[in-house]
Amino acid sequence: MYKLTICHLYPDLMNLYGDRGNIITLSKRCEWRNIDVETVTVSLNEEFDYEKYDIIFIGGGQDFEQTIIQDDLMRGKRQRIIDAAEEGKVILGICGGFQLLGKYYKTQSGSEIECVGALDLWTCSSEARLTGNLVFECDFLKSQTTDGYVVGFENHSGKTYLGEGVKPLGKVIKGFGNNGDDGFEGAVYKNTYGTYAHGSLLPKNPALADHLITLALLNKYPEFQGLDPLDDKLENLARTSVIKRVLADKS
Amino acid sequence: MKNLLKKMRLTAAIIITKLAVIVLRLLNRGGTTFPGKIALKICPNILSELSDKFRVIMVTGTNGKTTTCRICAGMLDKSGIKYIANKSGANLASGITTTLIDALSLTGKAMVRTALLETDEAAFKTVAPKLKPEIIIVTNFFKDQLDRFGELYSTLNYVRDGILSSPESTLILNADDSLCASLGQGVDNPVFYFGFADGVYPETNFSSNNDAPYCMNCSARYEYSSVTFAHLGHFKCPRCNYERPEAKIECTQVLHYDNLTSTVEIKVPDGKFAVKLALPGLYNIYNALAATGLGYLLELSEKDIIHVLEGFETGFGRMETVNVMDREIKMILVKNPTGFNQVLRYMMTQNNRCVVTLALNDKLADGTDISWIWDVDFEILSFMQNKIRFFYVSGDRAEDMAVRLKYAGIDEELIRIEHNENQLIDKILAEAGENETIYILPTYSAMLDIRQVLKNRFNLKDFWK
Repeated sequence: MYKLTICHLYPDLMNLYGDRGNIITLSKRCEWRNIDVETVTVSLNEEFDYEKYDIIFIGGGQDFEQTIIQDDLMRGKRQRIIDAAEEGKVILGICGGFQLLGKYYKTQSGSEIECVGALDLWTCSSEARLTGNLVFECDFLKSQTTDGYVVGFENHSGKTYLGEGVKPLGKVIKGFGNNGDDGFEGAVYKNTYGTYAHGSLLPKNPALADHLITLALLNKYPEFQGLDPLDDKLENLARTSVIKRVLADKS
Repeated sequence: MKNLLKKMRLTAAIIITKLAVIVLRLLNRGGTTFPGKIALKICPNILSELSDKFRVIMVTGTNGKTTTCRICAGMLDKSGIKYIANKSGANLASGITTTLIDALSLTGKAMVRTALLETDEAAFKTVAPKLKPEIIIVTNFFKDQLDRFGELYSTLNYVRDGILSSPESTLILNADDSLCASLGQGVDNPVFYFGFADGVYPETNFSSNNDAPYCMNCSARYEYSSVTFAHLGHFKCPRCNYERPEAKIECTQVLHYDNLTSTVEIKVPDGKFAVKLALPGLYNIYNALAATGLGYLLELSEKDIIHVLEGFETGFGRMETVNVMDREIKMILVKNPTGFNQVLRYMMTQNNRCVVTLALNDKLADGTDISWIWDVDFEILSFMQNKIRFFYVSGDRAEDMAVRLKYAGIDEELIRIEHNENQLIDKILAEAGENETIYILPTYSAMLDIRQVLKNRFNLKDFWK
């Protein structure tokens, strides 16, 4: 029997609006396939032994909470997150978690707050808040059964720019994405994924959830052949109905 | 000359607004916010102009504003004070303006001197300094509508800014909420705190403290000697010693608690009394405590306060109950995870079989981001699945709610999607057995839609005001 361990980083601090839905989704979709799954939480002053984990998740936080984790993150966990990303661990960072995986965050006053630096990207604070439904297209998710569209909700004032070391996660179809200017959303480097999409992201984007689970299983079990399909009727209904509404909205 | 112009503007604004109110009412359009918008256009400073005419009591905070306002209204009634109050949907500057102008004569005299105003947290920042309220009641702060407010701490700061510009106002604040209580720190305003005494309601589930587990002053993790729910309780910061302040109005015992009522002992500065609240749900005890604070400030006797609290029966916060075709429909507004979790906990006290309807919209009034449904502990519903005949999901985002239920461990066979409100009502009435309960848990705009259908179909007259 296969087994995966999911690590939820700072769940008590980086949990802005529903990000735990992603953990619930990863767990349930493993459970339904008889893949044994364990979720471990790691927060302030707790050891982050990344080698034990197959999927590492970090959600979004409010500015106040992000300042709380700053020290803890930069002191102990930073190098381990970089190592985990380099070794191809599956990592998903959302919103604040996505920004933290980058190199720095530049505040309004121009000072640069150093971030983890696992991903070649950086974020600049802006006046405007980029808020609303977000639809983007991921080529790697396209298959005979799915169009590769991913839908979520973005709510950020930071604008993120990608360096050469990462690829965008997708092309924005509707919404702002990373910065509202270059038409890209999120970033991918090896098996590390970052995005602004809350929603929660994974429940109604089951193809993306399964993609992450598959990568994690391949890491751990090289002989792994692929996931059994699940009945995703409700998930796909949720995905397509909101995409339809969002694309029809002219505003 | 300048003064004369100012006066003319004010008079014009008053007359035109009053006309707009009359016309809209004749057209049966309600008209609670639009006339105020016109008034603010004509005379942008109108609230400051009106402030001298009224003695203002404001109620703000994330949850419980409406219920607290209604109990406060009872306190004012009991004191023999005539007052005006805004409708719950009209709690922005425009709605408040409409309400105040409505109480003026054409010559600008206030016919009623006291105004009880439910105020949106963001609007509070600008409205409070203008109206110079005599009393400000703040219920609590939870994560809510972050798509609109940005962050929980911004919401708190809106209210803080409003209070800092109102140094004369007496504050009635929730002592158990570290965020709300902080509003009373370092200010010169007289402060009355309300809360639960330590250990009165021993909460075991600490994990639900997602909104404010860390000290807002120094970022250390709070220690709690007891918790009521979410982040409310007897907190203390081990590093900077910021702690739950002493409360003048306190619930010192919960004597009885069921799905319809709670009987509690309340301590006020000069005594203690037991009171049976016709309000189920733990957070309504908080609302009752806040309103008791007002009753105390109004110098009502113990007996009068008890009378108001016991006579208040609108049900579970914003719960309305109607009987239709021998079935009991309970409609309870849901708008954020903390409130929703309380509603689910209340539903767990249900003994008979029931039908559950969840209606999720994502309009501005509901919050356009529906991610928050993933922070609601729907998982507890899976424990009472055998009592629930079906889960109906409705509203703009019905499918998202269906997925949430599926991942909470609800059997997919029990989940039905129905967007059309008329058909929804038909189906839930047909599925529920005689004398069974139908729960309808809608977000704000979904509630208005469903209520309209119920009203039209069953000729219900203003069962909700």
